[in-house]
Amino acid sequence: MEELLEVGSKAVNYAEKLGADEAELFLSLENHTSLKFIGGIFASRGGAVKGIKGSLIKLAEPWIKKKGVPLITSGIRAGVGVRAVVNKAMGFSSVSSLEESQVLAAVEEAVKIAKIRPPDPNWVSLPEPRKPSGQGVFDKRILDLEIDEILDLCVNCCVTAGDLDKRVTQTMAMVSARSLYIGVVNTQGIEVCDKGTFFTAFISIKAKSGDEETSGGDFLSSRTFNIDLRDISISAAERALECFSRKALREKYVGPVIFENMSWSELFSTIFTYGISALNVQENRSVYKDKIGEQVAEDYITVIDDGTLENGFGTSAVDDEGCPRQKTPIIERGVLRNYLYDNYSAKRDGKESTGNASRQRLFGTPSYANQPSIKPSNLLIMPGKGNLNELIGEIKEGILVKGSLIGALHSNVLTGDFSVTSNNTFKIENGEVSYPLKPCTVAGNLYEALNSVLALGNDLRSFGNIICPSIIVKRIVVST
Amino acid sequence: MSSQIVELMDKAVQYALEIGADFAEVRGEDTITGEVKAVNDEIRTVSEVRNLGIGVRVFYKKGTGFSFSNVLDEEYIYRTVRTAMKIAKASKKRALIKLDLAEVETVEDRKQSPATRHPKDVSLDEKKDLCLRQCKTARNVSDRIVNVISSFMEYHGRLHYANSEGTKVSYEPLLIGLSIVCVAKEGETIVDASDRYGGSFGLSVFEEEAHTPEKIAENAANWALEKLRAKSAPAGKFCALIDPRLAGVLAHESFGHLSEADMVMVGTSPLAGKIGQYLGSEMVTIVDEGLPERGGYRIYFDDEGVPCTKVEILKRGKLNYYLHSRETAKAMGMKPTGNARSQDYSFEPIVRMRNTYFDAGDWKPEEALSEIKRGIYAIDTAGGQVEASGTFVFKAVKGYWVEKGELKYPLRDVALTGNILDLLKKVDAVCNDLEISSTPFGGCGKMDQRVYVGTGGPHIRVKEVLFGGAR
Repeated sequence: MEELLEVGSKAVNYAEKLGADEAELFLSLENHTSLKFIGGIFASRGGAVKGIKGSLIKLAEPWIKKKGVPLITSGIRAGVGVRAVVNKAMGFSSVSSLEESQVLAAVEEAVKIAKIRPPDPNWVSLPEPRKPSGQGVFDKRILDLEIDEILDLCVNCCVTAGDLDKRVTQTMAMVSARSLYIGVVNTQGIEVCDKGTFFTAFISIKAKSGDEETSGGDFLSSRTFNIDLRDISISAAERALECFSRKALREKYVGPVIFENMSWSELFSTIFTYGISALNVQENRSVYKDKIGEQVAEDYITVIDDGTLENGFGTSAVDDEGCPRQKTPIIERGVLRNYLYDNYSAKRDGKESTGNASRQRLFGTPSYANQPSIKPSNLLIMPGKGNLNELIGEIKEGILVKGSLIGALHSNVLTGDFSVTSNNTFKIENGEVSYPLKPCTVAGNLYEALNSVLALGNDLRSFGNIICPSIIVKRIVVST
Repeated sequence: MSSQIVELMDKAVQYALEIGADFAEVRGEDTITGEVKAVNDEIRTVSEVRNLGIGVRVFYKKGTGFSFSNVLDEEYIYRTVRTAMKIAKASKKRALIKLDLAEVETVEDRKQSPATRHPKDVSLDEKKDLCLRQCKTARNVSDRIVNVISSFMEYHGRLHYANSEGTKVSYEPLLIGLSIVCVAKEGETIVDASDRYGGSFGLSVFEEEAHTPEKIAENAANWALEKLRAKSAPAGKFCALIDPRLAGVLAHESFGHLSEADMVMVGTSPLAGKIGQYLGSEMVTIVDEGLPERGGYRIYFDDEGVPCTKVEILKRGKLNYYLHSRETAKAMGMKPTGNARSQDYSFEPIVRMRNTYFDAGDWKPEEALSEIKRGIYAIDTAGGQVEASGTFVFKAVKGYWVEKGELKYPLRDVALTGNILDLLKKVDAVCNDLEISSTPFGGCGKMDQRVYVGTGGPHIRVKEVLFGGAR
């Protein structure tokens, strides 16, 4: 990694020589192995594979279930992202290479871009060096995992889920193991590097009984090597199995709804993280503009962003601009306290970055190819009292929304309106789950929901960098 | 760079065969993605990302293995080939089905992309001006437009493919797009609206009257203002007139994905085993192709080196063909269609769509509207989500309440829910105003890979659609 920083110093010096007032080089090197495995039982229980008789396949199940369709990818992604500033104007360029000549060519491009841009009146400077907040979480076992081992893990997940019940017809396991080295060098004197490992597993199940088909899934994310995927394999299958004999709602339901932690994390992650971004506030895109110090949620809601959380999925020594991670209270007992800042938005408000610059994006574009934007590190909703069953007992009549939702990403982040489809929904009667519901449309407004939370559970779970409990919201619209 | 990549690719193919691969294919890439973004009157982002690298796939007995590297020297490329072999050997032990490749003719070809005013020949200043012109126009429409974000994006370069059968092809992908998001505010009400245009064009396309930056900006600004007054869409089942953009996303998201043969093979798609069956109204034809006559994202070859053919997935209501890679075609005894695609060199190709659209019918849009007694005109969408069963949720970004064939008042957050197989049966008018578009802003995601696609259609009318309503 030290050699990488050397390339970095050379590059920022070169940028200054070309006329840049400031320059920054972000380097990343990523080893990534991802594996998807569709368990073989889809052939014996789901539908026939072309060319083989169904009855033969049934007999062969003990053999078939340990086979399947593997899809494995492994490789190295390395590259740099260059930011050059000339007369308060920023240019960005990146190249998927760490080779010196390519890096210097990217520097030239960034300076060229900066020179043709008008000055940005809000630009102050690149971040100054500050002491890193700690260390990234790095577990060498993840780096050393052999492809055979990961494949065996996936096969075991599928076998476990399939063995649980004959009605399980399709099993799929996805595992990803990733190690990431990053380095940031800038003309202000920042010269830091960090490393981390990331492990995620996702199990997806389909079950069939008669004509009825149900689905379930479960998820695990960890910074250290977590070998036991048995629990989520079983849970994924149970989530599908508990949905048989679904009924439709007789009429549109309006009233209290319990969102299981997994379901709530998806809505919260999409909408709330948009609202608390300082840049969105500064540019009039957030409902939280001018609301610091005001009551924006029920007074037992506390939300913090903590980039130093032990083993947190978003924990690191520095963020993607080289600023230290920190613990930032967002909502304290219902009162809005802070927004999340990167360097640019912080200096614009005369503040210091909260260490929330991120270059990671959806769909696996490598970090170096993106400019920093504001993202939570580990966003945590503090727990309340009672497990999921106790929450169910608390509302007497209502609806329980479980598992992953369809459409959360398409929520209206400006207003907070969401309208999603839930496949794992249940009617609650007399303080108990009484029956599963057909796929439902679940609609509401996240910001209003935070103002009308009836209770929070104590069942904290982490879903990547969102950590939250289950929650009861007073008024949600559900229809089948 | 191009010749260096091709040289390394040849060496990789050779080396793979030497260490025992039954088949090897190598893809090389040298592309540029550029973006200019303006917020209000300031140029906020100018960026250029160059993507260089090589991906290797090998077949060894029952197994396949894929690996990639963007460190372009011989030693690393050989290491990448060895990793691919290691994966092939591991997956061989667990593979239920032997994946074979359907036979194809070997091709040697090198395509250029002709475009007037190719983005690589146009100055950054001019691209910057496109954004600033948009911002200025939108802000001049009204003071209630409080925030404007305009983006220009371009993607181009060269993609190479070579395999051990002797196929060697390359082409120049090209995609540009211009988009705008306007935020309007009145009292406590904040709404946003957007518009965009793009495709495999040179920058001259933004000189055409319908696609000038000013025109696109005005559309978005006016939509935002209209939305301030819009009412929430009523919930319930209504007749729906669907505009070309929403139709395109429906064709792609809710139907196209079901026709991808990898989903059909493992039985997750409800289209499995239904070739020849009527799944929709006889008015409906849904096409997927690489080189549409007009508009869209032009793809000559897929990432297995197979020329892109035109597939009529649904032909006059009848399920006609699936979308195939060489593997799925072999497994199902069909012909490859050139649908194996990957996000870039670092991903293994999987079955993906190219340009997917409802083919034109003969209704005039005015006629289709005039017959609606009570219903909703649903326009454009910011996206939707679907399940393998065909169940979908789409949010139209704009809508109108229709009564007696007339647009009565604007609606916001119009959510359509249903199952595509049900919807296709209820189509009772397909119009003649086919439009196909593609932009570099979104793209389609599947298995963590994002690829550029085109979507489109004419106006289509559906007898009955379930609208979710906002609340």
